[in-house]
Amino acid sequence: MFHALVSIKQVPDTTNIRIDPETNNLIRQGVPTILNPYDAHAVAAAVEWKRKLGGQVTVITMGPASAVTSLRECIEMGADRAILISDRKFAGADTWATSYVLSEVIKAIHAEQPIDLVFFGKQAIDGDTAQVGPGVAVRLDLPIITYAVKIHEVDLQNRKVVIERKTESRNEVIRASLPAALTCEKEIAEIPYASLPDLVYSLRYEPELWTTEGPISFDPTQLGLRGSPTTVFKTGTPEKHKGGEVIKTAELGVEGAVRTALDKILAVEGMASLLGVSK
Amino acid sequence: MTRRFWVYIEQENGKPHQVSWELLGVARRLADEIKDELEKSGDTALVEGVLVGHHVEHIAREALHYGADTVYYVDDPAVKHYLNKPYTTVLTQLVKKYQPEVMLVGATTLGRDLAGSVATSVGTGLTADTTHLAMGSPKEGEKKLLMATRPAFGGNVIATILCRNHRPQMATVRPRVFSMPERIAEPKGQVVREDIAITPEMINAEIVEFLTDKASTVNIEYADVIVAGGRGLGNPKGFALIKELADELGGVVGASRACVDAHWIGYEHQVGQTGKTVRPKLYIAAGISGAIQHKVGMQESDFILAINRDPNAPIFEIATLGIVGDLYEVIPAMIREIRARKEAKHG
Amino acid sequence: MVNKNEKLVFDVIVVGAGLAGSAAAVTAARGGLNVVMVERGVAPGSKNYFGGALYTHSLLDIYPDFFDRKPPLERPVTETGFWFLSKDGMVRMTVQGGKINNNPIDAYVAQRAKFDAWWAEQARKEGVFLIPKTVVVDFIRENGKVVGVMTDRAQGEIYAPVVIVCEGVNNLLTQKLGLIKHDFKGNATALAVKQLISLPAETINTRLGLRSSDEGLAISVVGDVSMGLPGLGFLYTGKDSLSLGVGVTLDALSAAQIKPYELLQRYLNHPMIAPLIAGGQLMEYGAHLIPEGGWSTMPQLYTDGVMVAGDAASMVNAMHWEGTNMAITAGKAAGETAVEAHKKGDFSANTLSAYRKRLENTFVLKDLHQYRNMSRFLHNHPEFMDVYPNFLNDALGMFFTGFGKPKKQLYSDILKSLTSRRPLLKAVGDMVAFGRTVMGI
Ligand SMILES: Cc1cc2nc3c(=O)[nH]c(=O)nc-3n(C[C@H](O)[C@H](O)[C@H](O)COP(=O)(O)OP(=O)(O)OC[C@H]3O[C@@H](n4cnc5c(N)ncnc54)[C@H](O)[C@@H]3O)c2cc1C
Ligand SMILES: Cc1cc2nc3c(=O)[nH]c(=O)nc-3n(C[C@H](O)[C@H](O)[C@H](O)COP(=O)(O)OP(=O)(O)OC[C@H]3O[C@@H](n4cnc5c(N)ncnc54)[C@H](O)[C@@H]3O)c2cc1C
Ligand SMILES: Nc1ncnc2c1ncn2[C@@H]1O[C@H](COP(=O)(O)O)[C@@H](O)[C@H]1O
Repeated sequence: MFHALVSIKQVPDTTNIRIDPETNNLIRQGVPTILNPYDAHAVAAAVEWKRKLGGQVTVITMGPASAVTSLRECIEMGADRAILISDRKFAGADTWATSYVLSEVIKAIHAEQPIDLVFFGKQAIDGDTAQVGPGVAVRLDLPIITYAVKIHEVDLQNRKVVIERKTESRNEVIRASLPAALTCEKEIAEIPYASLPDLVYSLRYEPELWTTEGPISFDPTQLGLRGSPTTVFKTGTPEKHKGGEVIKTAELGVEGAVRTALDKILAVEGMASLLGVSK
Repeated sequence: MTRRFWVYIEQENGKPHQVSWELLGVARRLADEIKDELEKSGDTALVEGVLVGHHVEHIAREALHYGADTVYYVDDPAVKHYLNKPYTTVLTQLVKKYQPEVMLVGATTLGRDLAGSVATSVGTGLTADTTHLAMGSPKEGEKKLLMATRPAFGGNVIATILCRNHRPQMATVRPRVFSMPERIAEPKGQVVREDIAITPEMINAEIVEFLTDKASTVNIEYADVIVAGGRGLGNPKGFALIKELADELGGVVGASRACVDAHWIGYEHQVGQTGKTVRPKLYIAAGISGAIQHKVGMQESDFILAINRDPNAPIFEIATLGIVGDLYEVIPAMIREIRARKEAKHG
Repeated sequence: MVNKNEKLVFDVIVVGAGLAGSAAAVTAARGGLNVVMVERGVAPGSKNYFGGALYTHSLLDIYPDFFDRKPPLERPVTETGFWFLSKDGMVRMTVQGGKINNNPIDAYVAQRAKFDAWWAEQARKEGVFLIPKTVVVDFIRENGKVVGVMTDRAQGEIYAPVVIVCEGVNNLLTQKLGLIKHDFKGNATALAVKQLISLPAETINTRLGLRSSDEGLAISVVGDVSMGLPGLGFLYTGKDSLSLGVGVTLDALSAAQIKPYELLQRYLNHPMIAPLIAGGQLMEYGAHLIPEGGWSTMPQLYTDGVMVAGDAASMVNAMHWEGTNMAITAGKAAGETAVEAHKKGDFSANTLSAYRKRLENTFVLKDLHQYRNMSRFLHNHPEFMDVYPNFLNDALGMFFTGFGKPKKQLYSDILKSLTSRRPLLKAVGDMVAFGRTVMGI
């Protein structure tokens, strides 16, 4: 029996982020939230291997109550059990405090039913940090394979997994012992389109709720803002660069505009020799 | 007391990653920024590199040319290639031994993998993907801390993050955000080989195969000339035209995410927040509107030429020079003109 | 917990969680029925958009405590009417205070993505089961009778003895039933394109002369906005956004070879409009059809086991920008009829004909009948989009700028500015014809 755990996050759909043009503040109101796209692919991969090997997929997330919609989405894709870890005391956690809570929860689930693979997304699109996965793996002393693009083999008998990952210059195939952790790129698996009964099941599914009150206990000094080594000192808007001259083909004609532009570019020191074009 | 500014020197296959040199330049600047404190206290500041691999002494020596006072390196066949656990363990031991104040790591795939693990095992905070770094006092009179600034929420907001009570203050930095320092011809620093035994407990995974991914051989990050196309191309075939101009100028092809998402071109060409950060000498943006997430990836380019039919496109706000016009007229004309000028030169 | 392999059987299936759908579903649920509502969007409203304004009367009819439920509305409409655009000028004819100043206010501007999600949520609270992200593709028939629907998912059947189709203007299912023989015709369907532009509330208030953010505008824009084609522009005020768009019939668009986006861009660049939106940020661009044919393109409203409500049934009064209220009222009538049918245990066309009878007693069918000739009228009388708005601008413009001209001369110039465009007799005829069309005689 294969037991996969997927750690997911609900994130604001950053394609919809807007800035108030006058106050320069982020307009949060009405920004929809979504299941972090990389996490969705991680769930899809976990479910794919569960279907191959037989077993179970558990999903967890630490987040606000509204994150149940993302957990239901995982159930829709074929996950079997979903846990929402939610408490005011977790609020304001940085990646260090987040990885503490997640690793405690994973330990507890592992004690109930041993886990073979722990899946993460490559990164969460709100923070883009890509730290939580490695952080949890270190705390649990699991081998971690980041930027995974393909799971070649899960060998439950010999307790081995073979996973292909991407680095800057090539792909590497890595073998690690089980249990192991991985962070997933989108290529890891296609998002399945659930059957109607699976969808209906997920819509009615109620995730379990874990809080600081139970079922497990946490070290209060490690939680939330208090447990976070990093703090946000200030926020602002990126400084604006200044644009230069703009020429119009409508005024100079296409040829004229192009000639003027090339003259200006080539006038910059070193440009003519770089481009191999004479002034 | 010695205040150490550390840079992780990344290498793959015996080749250093250029971001490491960029970071040595940054570390030197940060060390300079606390000169006033040093004068008062009599402390010294050192810029130091750390390096892990096999047969890497030459890389350690090369790092001296980019301003490292010391480079600590671990050389062992067992850590020839990057693997999370042995690298994390080695670095954790070195951090504990030397207690650096600041540690910078390139935000590359390997660097992010490593930094997240090291921060956790050392028990400190980490600011990922920073775009601006400075040493500053959060309040008047307080000791200077690393002020690590990074974009959030799709680049619309920037946040400055502090790590007050834990050391080292760690940050990952994207390649090409900072420029290369000058190479020093005769450096004064020294390399120090650290004897750390790689034990079997440190190994929990092994690389069984390397696959060369043809696609990922495109490296736009370090190109001097980039011609980038956006959704304004209208269809995937437009990239043939972009390529033609890039070839003419000895450059490479870049793209906006809109085109990558539409599968007009591969991800390795994407410039921007979720793609590559570039800072070429010449960046030509054709049919790219200039969304903030694209701009953060290319706005440090030396010369930006924007070609867009919409005079109000935000790309003009940062372009050194703009041409308002149809790219399907402008680019072919540009190719003709360049060819004519090359002919003229030869003929 | 449910069994994954359970056959999905309900008392009623509602297709589409728009305004009509959620009204139908909640009404049926209140009658004690087990209702499922299927929506293709990720969430109700995610695929919907309109101008536009919602009408209080229809909302209160479904939820008497509507305002206590904190609906996501933008601004009340405290000023409404027409703006007549010429090439470079405008005459405003709007009303505020007086009859508009009702309690409650008659209409509210809303954004569909937010409102429809909330509207469906209210129905869910009363027991309606919502299935999102799922497209109904066909009906399941037994012995020629509809007994359920097929969705686009694996094992996608849902069963119920009665289906209420609230699928909106792209009425593929209504066509599948044979209730209508074709798409809505090109001369009876308008394509509306719009932009939602974000601006700080105070800027909107200053530019449009509103005293606070509790005041708002709903404006129909006539004239230069449609380039003389049969169509209307609009402007609605959100809390911190303006919604501007223009709708023109498909036939006219293709005959004039104008791209809808260019039409909109031209409207937004108009010298009277551009300053209103200057500095704003584009938040949303969308295009949507409006079944303007109304009565003339209405399908048969029911058949064995099925009723059709809202845009799918062409229930739109384009002249008055009324569609949402008709959709809601029709949805409610269909819901009531479904409850009645369950009581009788009979879902035949005969029983469901009560749906149409209900609607005959409401403004829905009365108004649609009265305005039955409107879309044809406008098609045949482009003067209303061109001649008269221009004349109005010239006439008022001249009237107030005599420049020492004798008034006799002035009036004759004004008259000339009309007759040079349209002979006087024709103009009088146009007005009479317009009156007859509006009165439905
Ligand atoms: C979290 C997040 C991360 C993102 N990361 C990135 C990223 O890394 N990189 C990135 O690029 N984007 C990124 N984006 C997407 C970004 O917001 C924009 O959607 C994207 O950059 C738009 O691409 P574009 O400029 O090619 O397309 P558009 O915005 O559609 O612009 C096309 C332009 O082409 C012009 N045009 C059209 N036809 C012609 C013609 N014939 N001649 C000349 N001009 C013409 C138009 O006027 C227009 O300005 C990200 C978004 C989010 C939310
Ligand atoms: C630009 C514009 C301005 C307007 N302004 C106004 C105004 O100011 N005031 C006013 O009252 N009216 C206005 N209207 C008209 C009004 O929007 C419509 O009449 C009203 O929305 C109709 O409601 P409906 O429920 O019938 O359809 P819709 O609101 O279109 O809802 C149909 C729903 O069904 C779903 N659906 C469709 N097919 C399927 C399927 N096969 N399976 C599952 N789900 C499906 C859709 O996703 C959608 O959610 C305007 C319309 C436009 C386009
Ligand atoms: N609050 C959270 N709850 C559960 N998993 C998380 C949480 N935050 C991050 N993750 C996981 O860690 C991955 C990387 O996130 P990040 O380090 O924030 O970029 C995500 O793709 C998730 O798999």
